Amino acid sequence: MSSSGAAGQSSKPAKAGPSQPSETSTKRKRGMFQKDLQHMMYGFGDDPNPIPESVALVEDIVVEYVTDMVHKAQDIGSKRGKISVEDFLYLIRKDMPKLNRCTELLSMQEELKQARKAFDVDEDKLASLE
Amino acid sequence: MNQSKDPFEAAYEEQEESPPDSPLAPADFDRRPASPPSAAAPASQNAATAPDDEETDHVNPSDPSPSAPASASAKIKGKSKEEDEDEEEENMEVELAKFPASGDPNKMAKMQTILSQFTEDQMTRYESFRRSALQKATMRRLLVSITGSQKISMPVTIVVCGIAKMFVGELIETARMVMTERNESGPIRPCHIRESYRRLKLEGKVPKRSVPRLFR
Repeated sequence: MSSSGAAGQSSKPAKAGPSQPSETSTKRKRGMFQKDLQHMMYGFGDDPNPIPESVALVEDIVVEYVTDMVHKAQDIGSKRGKISVEDFLYLIRKDMPKLNRCTELLSMQEELKQARKAFDVDEDKLASLE
Repeated sequence: MNQSKDPFEAAYEEQEESPPDSPLAPADFDRRPASPPSAAAPASQNAATAPDDEETDHVNPSDPSPSAPASASAKIKGKSKEEDEDEEEENMEVELAKFPASGDPNKMAKMQTILSQFTEDQMTRYESFRRSALQKATMRRLLVSITGSQKISMPVTIVVCGIAKMFVGELIETARMVMTERNESGPIRPCHIRESYRRLKLEGKVPKRSVPRLFR
């Protein structure tokens, strides 16, 4: 847990070295989710203008949470070599709200995919008619 | 703000009180009568698939949908047109007009009555709740940096965004509870968040690291 002050993490500045591509950089930029998190925190009950240190702390906590989850998922799915959705679903199996939410998101995504496919097919049909 | 799915949709569903019983088409998933009204980050493309509605009103009249047998598909087709990254704009009006619970008239009616009685403040907060999400691209970048592998599939990104949003919800709500216990008010301060994180850890909602974290 962060023993160092509110902002917690001592993540190094985004571009310390001379042209380090941010994609492969090991440094984590500050404020990756800052804007989104502010709106999210308001939505969940915080002030319309959350304190910046709080936002930074929440971001750190979330990144740590995601990191730990991914490491666990990798352990589970290590045989396959890549992470699949089932690994995550297995991880959150005990947490009903999250599990339901994820299954909902996945089914919606499927539905959208089907819809888009159908839409494209129709477009082709139209094009061929003309 | 975000490209995620329509948070309103998701949230509506999240807050259903009735048990998950919807025997509907595969797309219609059980609504979770979620006690924590935290809607997960709708990282996925938007929901507007709430099969019931008509978004057809909002959908561009130019939408041909020649063969749209079910209103659902028509709606979905209409949606898919706008389905780019930023469908948020259209959804803005749509979501409020749209029936909250897909497929269940009782739920729909209930949500409608609740929503109609919201004060303006509550409405903006609810809107933020539904629409906010973590960016898929940013999340994907984070996942790549954690795993070291470039192959992160889309569903994984979507699921992780959703889980993360729900986690933020738990954090903030617990932090608010901590504040009320301490009889404090105002914006949430880092000390509340730390206390809330500590409590979540005790409840086991935060994955424990098997190896202690070094070099923070």
